[in-house]
Amino acid sequence: MGETAEAIDLEHRVVTTDRGGSFPFDRLLVASGSDPRAVEGEGMGLDGVFFMRTEAHVRGMLERLPEVKHALVLGGGLVGFKAAYGLLHRGISVTMLIRSGYPLAMQVDAGAGDLIRQELERKGLLLRLGAEVSAFEGGNGDRAGRVARAHLSDGTTLDCDLAVIGKGVVPTMGFLPPEIVTHAGVSVDEHLETSVPGIYAAGDVAESVDVSRQKRWVNAVWPVAVEQGRVAGMNMAGRPVKYPGSLSRNVIRIYDLDVLTAGIVNPDETDEYDVYVAGDPRRNRYRKLVLRDGVLVGAVLVGGVEQGGVLMALINNQRRLDGPIDAYLDPSFNFGQVIA
Amino acid sequence: MKKVVVHPERCVGCMQCMLACATTHSQSKSLLSALQEKPRPTSRVHVGVGLYMEGFPNRCRHCDPAPCMLACLPGAIFRDPVTDTVLVDYDRCINCASCAMACPYGVIRYHEDYLAPPGKTVAIKCDNCVERQAHGMIPACVEICQVGALTFEDPAVALKRKTDEVARTVSVGAEAREVPGSDTFSLLNALKREQKAVNIR
Repeated sequence: MGETAEAIDLEHRVVTTDRGGSFPFDRLLVASGSDPRAVEGEGMGLDGVFFMRTEAHVRGMLERLPEVKHALVLGGGLVGFKAAYGLLHRGISVTMLIRSGYPLAMQVDAGAGDLIRQELERKGLLLRLGAEVSAFEGGNGDRAGRVARAHLSDGTTLDCDLAVIGKGVVPTMGFLPPEIVTHAGVSVDEHLETSVPGIYAAGDVAESVDVSRQKRWVNAVWPVAVEQGRVAGMNMAGRPVKYPGSLSRNVIRIYDLDVLTAGIVNPDETDEYDVYVAGDPRRNRYRKLVLRDGVLVGAVLVGGVEQGGVLMALINNQRRLDGPIDAYLDPSFNFGQVIA
Repeated sequence: MKKVVVHPERCVGCMQCMLACATTHSQSKSLLSALQEKPRPTSRVHVGVGLYMEGFPNRCRHCDPAPCMLACLPGAIFRDPVTDTVLVDYDRCINCASCAMACPYGVIRYHEDYLAPPGKTVAIKCDNCVERQAHGMIPACVEICQVGALTFEDPAVALKRKTDEVARTVSVGAEAREVPGSDTFSLLNALKREQKAVNIR
């Protein structure tokens, strides 16, 4: 505990740490996770500019809160949302900068994104679409070294005394020897073994196959890490178990909106995909299903997310959907309809 | 160990199990007073409509390993080893709906419960009536079911019975079951008799 792995000696099969410790291994699991994606620009190191990744980050933010009047959130992803939600709850005015045209662009499609945007604006969140921070500026006098202003890519400036960066994560792979092949993450085979026999990888750092996309992919979410950890453990213990691949998924509650997404939610405009949409915007309900060759590969649910797991199982099982697709879009959809 | 076994082909969609479930998970344990309670108690068994408008009693399978348990971030979902039941610790639940993504049967709901901290929305699912079982009673949904769509028995016994039922319908010399007034059954039985005759030759 408390030691950081710094290098792996493949020849002697030993892991060395920052405190000079060395740990021999027969089999090794790389579960080093990921670090928050940094943002380029001046003043990112100023006091009051935070990532939201560790307990220490959040404790640092909480200490600052009593003097914070206006906060800036960089990124309209899940971390950005959690940060904005928490800050708004404490009565702090929050401006969120989103590079794309709508919030949660990595997770949802434009239809759901619009519902989410409206809900957040109703709750007082200020949104700036298509804008990024190019630099932060510190204050004067006794506020020197503390963030006071942000310069945006569109040439405007915004006053802020707290900034939270939520621009995604990157796998932590710096300490790995070159023999372990990496792309977007550490490449693993169907037994979650890396290119070096006896060394496995799981979680945010591992690049396995995405079930819906049918290509190599890093799905850096908790449930995938749990799945992979179990499978890697069984394989490392000598029981060969195949990992069928991961599925991107997320569920988030934004005030009165429940949003659940899985698999491919924004398919490219080709004939390969069939997209079905239903919903009632006045009731904040929206459903979208993405099919490829009659097989479900993606789903977006806003409101009524309880049946999301059934749809996820259908994506994972890659079974052709029976009957009319309308039944799957209807609010009354339930497990009874998939076992006929 | 006895478990609730679902026989979907017997369900007539009367939803009595839902009423009984909601009642037994109320503070008063009585249907009429339960209706007045706040939060209003709800059912953990969900009778859905199938593709052919047939009823389908959908309830937690208490899977092992349970996907909801693996997906639960705060570790609020756990297994009671005595009754082999997957339960939710309402004090630990953070209402994140990660279990909604994980449950392949879609049997978890989110609302308040009189056993949860007041005003807190939590994940609610079937608890196999562990409280009733502790008092020697069978689960409420099974007790109320009039058509045998829900039974409380050892799954191995239920499987054996089903296997026997299937075997009997095809076994040589067995009397085919006649259902008065059912031409379809008569036709089916005639076909089976012919089939047997062919097989014997």
